[in-house]
Amino acid sequence: MNAQTTDRTISNFIRALRNADIRVSTAETLDALNAVELVGYEDRDYLKRTLSLVLPKTADEKVTFDACFDQFFAFQDVRGEAEAALGDTGDADDQDSEDGGDGEGGGAGSDRQAQPGGKGKKNKSKSKNKNNLFEEEEEEDLGPGEMTDPSSALGKLLMANSRVELTVQMSAAGEAVNIREIQIFTQKGLYARRIMDQMGLADLNQEIADLRQAPAVPARRLGQQLKGRRDFLREQVRDYVEQQFLLNADVSGKRLREELLRKVKLSNVEHRNFRLIQEIVYKMAKKLSTLHSRRKKVFKRGQLNISRTLRNNMSYDGAIFNLHWKSVKVDRPKVFAICDVSGSVANYARFMLMFLYSLDEVMPKVRSFAFSSDLAEVTELFNRNKIEDAIAKTLRDYSGGSTDYGQALLDFKKLCLDDVDNRTTIIILGDARNNFGEAHAEVLKELYDRSKRVIWLNPEARLAWNTGDSEMRKYGAYSHQVEECNSLMHLERVVGNLLRQVN
Amino acid sequence: MADIETIAASVASLKENFEQHRYICSNEIATAVFLAYQLRKPVLIEGPPGVGKTELAKTAAEMFSLPLVRLQCYEGLDESKAIYEWKYGKQLLYTQVLKEALDEVLQGAKGFAQSVSKLHEFGDIFFSNEFLEPRPLLKALREENGCVLLIDEIDKADHEFESLLLEILSDYQVSIPEIGTVKAVAEPPIVFLTSNNTREISDALKRRCLHLYIPFPDVEVESKIIGARVPEVPPELQRQLVEFIHELRNLDLKKLPAISETIDWARTLVLLHAESLEPQLVKDTLNVILKFQEDIDNVQSEVNALAAKITK
Repeated sequence: MNAQTTDRTISNFIRALRNADIRVSTAETLDALNAVELVGYEDRDYLKRTLSLVLPKTADEKVTFDACFDQFFAFQDVRGEAEAALGDTGDADDQDSEDGGDGEGGGAGSDRQAQPGGKGKKNKSKSKNKNNLFEEEEEEDLGPGEMTDPSSALGKLLMANSRVELTVQMSAAGEAVNIREIQIFTQKGLYARRIMDQMGLADLNQEIADLRQAPAVPARRLGQQLKGRRDFLREQVRDYVEQQFLLNADVSGKRLREELLRKVKLSNVEHRNFRLIQEIVYKMAKKLSTLHSRRKKVFKRGQLNISRTLRNNMSYDGAIFNLHWKSVKVDRPKVFAICDVSGSVANYARFMLMFLYSLDEVMPKVRSFAFSSDLAEVTELFNRNKIEDAIAKTLRDYSGGSTDYGQALLDFKKLCLDDVDNRTTIIILGDARNNFGEAHAEVLKELYDRSKRVIWLNPEARLAWNTGDSEMRKYGAYSHQVEECNSLMHLERVVGNLLRQVN
Repeated sequence: MADIETIAASVASLKENFEQHRYICSNEIATAVFLAYQLRKPVLIEGPPGVGKTELAKTAAEMFSLPLVRLQCYEGLDESKAIYEWKYGKQLLYTQVLKEALDEVLQGAKGFAQSVSKLHEFGDIFFSNEFLEPRPLLKALREENGCVLLIDEIDKADHEFESLLLEILSDYQVSIPEIGTVKAVAEPPIVFLTSNNTREISDALKRRCLHLYIPFPDVEVESKIIGARVPEVPPELQRQLVEFIHELRNLDLKKLPAISETIDWARTLVLLHAESLEPQLVKDTLNVILKFQEDIDNVQSEVNALAAKITK
């Protein structure tokens, strides 16, 4: 395999990896090429080990990588047979030109097969099938002999026996029907059909039909040949579409879903999407962490505090050897999260807690409280368990009972009013629907006075606030900030703002 | 140097050499070291604690007969502890001592401007190599014959420290404002970074490294490791204890026993002259392989079943 083919194979492979959600940078692509140059293609296992050192960078990615690699490089085992299968479709008379064609086709073949999709395997079984079918269908043995020349463009192309030409035509047709926009797997058949049409299937079919009824033997012979090759082409196109699907579609589907999930109301998220939501939450949290962890740097980079140094070294006769550094101390945000976990709001609480605790690198001091009627601290639960488990336990233990915000505020006051100081941010998540109970807004006022910020996140749409038993007006008065918060996007914005202000 | 080249010429020879140094490694590990040497790339090693991440670097140094420079990471580690620091004490001491000599230096200088320009003639003596205290990273670059640089538990250091490493990892140089850029004097060091995955390492750092994940070994490899490290263990006992450990790893424990624990346990059993794994013996020595009372309690009750499983 020459250098160019290698490059293209690797870059195609990397494209497949990226589609499988493994992030590969350009620098890593270059590394991969260098590494491949070093180890060569001969030993498949060796190649796999090598690339798995260079490309995937987490344990999870390595698993994905293994699957991708196996799928992508499957062709290597069956290439010979796939090639032979093409040879079969030509007949003895053709053999000379066939050889010539194969020679140049070989290069193209490896090129093309270098694209992913486990197609090699499929190719093998299907092309065999097709050969059988072809033979069975053959109603008359016309034997080798001369044939007339095909008249349709596609027919000529097929009989010319050049894989390069065929591939080029196929890709061109693929581009013409916008194969790159393929999104979901049900579209595969449609696209295959379109590509065939684009390549001139109609004319070919017409020609085959005509030829098979033709009186002259050479014409009928050509008809059979063309039919066989048409079926072969159909396989090729199907495989081509399959590859393109793998290359282009797979994740864009996922990306689409992620995009949607960010905007969808959290209470409407179906259970099966929880995992995906979790991934998104972690991604968002990571983004926020990296954004805000920079601020800590200020504290670390000290500058000489000249005046203080001089002052402190007076006693040593001005010999300066006890140095003092300037430093800016960054307050780590102290966040109290109070979550209503009663049925209607439970889902929002779940994701907010998940979000807050995913941020532990920049927000190490989150204390969380859950209530429906009585309030209790659940911080310990989160410290000891994995986030998901802790959330599940919280919801299980505290979500019973009817919502009583007044009682919850009183409980909170009793529990930790003393810990609330002017560096504390209190986030309350709830719909403020108090079942017409006592609101105890004066407790919130007390918190409002003592703390740095009180943020009330209400998952209901603004229009619904203050209707029925909602006490939003009373509580809103004693909050620094009142936000509607019912999707991941809202959540991200609120927490982002929070970090900005606390830092 | 020729020596290293022959050792690192192929994966097979590396593997063999590692085994001679009593480090049994999988093909993945040998390939990683091979690529690290051939491509001059640092290796980031991840995996559960106790699978021999640090040991790999140490053995590599021993095998290549290179000095090992080790930087242990911890929270708050910064450039003054990792790369270099000025010898403040020495600088101050010298200024005090040289106070008297100042008159001679400034001899005949009139006015402030002249004095300053006179002083300039002496250059930045106080910020030269004489007053530079090299820390591990700088030391690694200055090793005459190259070295193995081990940056241990990078995940314990802060985010910012990672960025500090980027220059040395990609170009094998560090920039010191007062002196300039210090490049590796000889061969660039072979760099190993280890991480226990207590937090995500930044993408920028990962991009510059080969990524090696060392999982718990399979029964066969672990037996070989025990054979190499504790050759006194009778073969039957060796099989049993390795299988027992593998059974334990399938349980839901707070901390799974790693290779280092297996080795410790093998040594313990040898000390106790054990011939085979008796349930009572296992119960008595569980504290060697399990480090949490909770785990020990959980396993105690299952020892009989587990022992029966492996001795059958």
